[in-house]
Amino acid sequence: MSKKLIELRNVTKTYDDITVVDNISLYINENEFITLLGPSGCGKTTTLRMIGGFEKPDSGEIILNGVVVNELPPYERPINTVFQRYALFPHLNVFDNIAFGLKNQKVPKQEIAERVETALKLVSLPNFGARKVANLSGGQQQRIAIARAIVNRPKILLLDEPLAALDLKLRQNMQYELKEMQRKLGITFIYVTHDQEEALTMSDTIVVMRDGLIQQIGTPTGIYNEPRNRFVARFIGESNILEGTYVRQNVVSFMGVEFDCVDIGFADGEKVDVVIRPEDLDLIDPVGAKLVGVVSSSIFKGVHFELCVIVQEKEFVIHTYENKNVGQAVGLRVDSYEIHLMKVEN
Amino acid sequence: MNIKKLGKLVLPYLVWMSVLVGLPLLMMVVLTFLKSNALDLGTAEFSFDSWRILFSDVTVRIALKNSFVNGIIATIICFVIGYPIAYIVANSNFSNKLIILVLTIIPMWSNSLLRNNAIANILSERSIVNDVLSNIGLNFIWPIRGVVYESGFSPAVVIGLVLTYLPFMILPIYTVLEKIDKSLLEASMDLGSNKIKTFFKVTFPLSIKGVTTGIIMVFLPSFSGFAIPKILGSGSLVFIGTLIDSRFMNRNYNFGSLLSLVILLIIFGSMALIFKVDKEGETLI
Ligand SMILES: Nc1ncnc2c1ncn2[C@@H]1O[C@H](COP(=O)(O)OP(=O)(O)O)[C@@H](O)[C@H]1O
Ligand SMILES: [Mg+2]
Repeated sequence: MSKKLIELRNVTKTYDDITVVDNISLYINENEFITLLGPSGCGKTTTLRMIGGFEKPDSGEIILNGVVVNELPPYERPINTVFQRYALFPHLNVFDNIAFGLKNQKVPKQEIAERVETALKLVSLPNFGARKVANLSGGQQQRIAIARAIVNRPKILLLDEPLAALDLKLRQNMQYELKEMQRKLGITFIYVTHDQEEALTMSDTIVVMRDGLIQQIGTPTGIYNEPRNRFVARFIGESNILEGTYVRQNVVSFMGVEFDCVDIGFADGEKVDVVIRPEDLDLIDPVGAKLVGVVSSSIFKGVHFELCVIVQEKEFVIHTYENKNVGQAVGLRVDSYEIHLMKVEN
Repeated sequence: MNIKKLGKLVLPYLVWMSVLVGLPLLMMVVLTFLKSNALDLGTAEFSFDSWRILFSDVTVRIALKNSFVNGIIATIICFVIGYPIAYIVANSNFSNKLIILVLTIIPMWSNSLLRNNAIANILSERSIVNDVLSNIGLNFIWPIRGVVYESGFSPAVVIGLVLTYLPFMILPIYTVLEKIDKSLLEASMDLGSNKIKTFFKVTFPLSIKGVTTGIIMVFLPSFSGFAIPKILGSGSLVFIGTLIDSRFMNRNYNFGSLLSLVILLIIFGSMALIFKVDKEGETLI
């Protein structure tokens, strides 16, 4: 299961003196669903294009099954891509679009017909073969683009924000279906998105990027619960980030109060960043609470309320099921294992 | 069909069109059924002579054939030269591709008669080129002018046609090539086609609209024009354009009108073909 399939070693790419991908290294296992996540412009697409063979790294190596493939053109890589804006061929119908890769591989006609029909069923568009591409809706075009790629049974499927243009409902359906497909077909998916929720839902592994640098690689829960720095903590969901001091083993102080904590690996007296997720803060009676504040706003978010509570002039975001009135005094409590500490970046 | 909405605004245009286009056209049609001394309608009499000649006279057939042969050859050469030029410019990294295109258009700003006369001069016996060539013993190569093959192919006329109409091939092809989404080419390579296959399976099919427009825009004037064959052709070679010209010169307006009508029908047919292939008229710039 965990056989290393593709590896990036110190890969760097520069456009006009701007380093877009900066010395990144990572490896991807067979059958893995890996997501490159980061704000727009952080170099995700460029990384994906280097894996696909559309761009060459300036330095570093891309290694596929133990072989350096830097110089291999896209048409010789066992990799297929689902392009962001689908890139379906407008002069071909749905069938010929999907059969395009198979014809290049000189697959017999009979087999092509069967595999195209299977692929169409897989994306829930059976009998769509004769349709014109231009007459399909965005969601349907998206599915055809996926079918066109997976029909070739690639080792690796690259997907560049494939759902970005779809509306919310369709997007959520497709997230689920893509994940299912990946499980069923056993293809390695390398997925690019700037949507942290999408990344958390679908991925086995998330690579968080910023300005061409990898910030953190980990599982969705790992990255959510143990962000390595402020950027990751902020980017992956909402969080309260506070300045604190590591007093001694298992004790941290912030907001002028000492708390028990479980994180270790810091020196006594070291400055730390403290991360507390909004759902990990509990509202308690202000009397006797370590942190006391006043509710400054409350928004109903469907399932929970999002409260803003001002404590010592610092704003806390809290997710809670019980509403509080604006202006009401509340106490805040947090469990020791919900307090996550990070090294301070200079 | 918004003509009604525009109401009185279109009136001047309608009057203009009927007086300067509709009426003359109608006149031409009438003339084909008459036997008249030039435009002297007083002495004209009804006659099918022109129509009879059209279908029986060999000259007409030869003229049509010559125009067709030279037009087709010129069109093919324009395509063979024009497509690569359009392709190279569309795919170049030049910051201002327009400048390169303008360079192909600039010659069109000088009068084409003047240009073709210059070409005629270069291709003739008393040209610098022939002087040089004959002095080094290559006098059998030049002059090209006056060479006519049995098929009616006249190299001099074709050279004139190509040099005159090449931009009409380049521009529409360039326009479609420029519009092709680069990610389609990447998708093709992603799916296993190398660059050459990608060209034939994606780029060329997607440029077919521009090619059709280019072919028609070069072929029609090459086929129907009379100035270039007149300047560059040898006197014995008759073209449909020169035939019409000579009929009108000889005051045979009846037959001249009929030949013009024939060409008009061919042009309308071709335009219909363009609009069928390229409904939005994108390639017509
Ligand atoms: N071909 C290119 N030439 C110059 N700059 C580019 C090119 N492609 C991408 N860039 C720049 O590289 C940066 C990263 O781009 P990209 O990889 O597309 O980011 P992302 O996909 O994460 O939004 C951007 O600032 C972008 O402007
Ligand atoms: Mg991108």
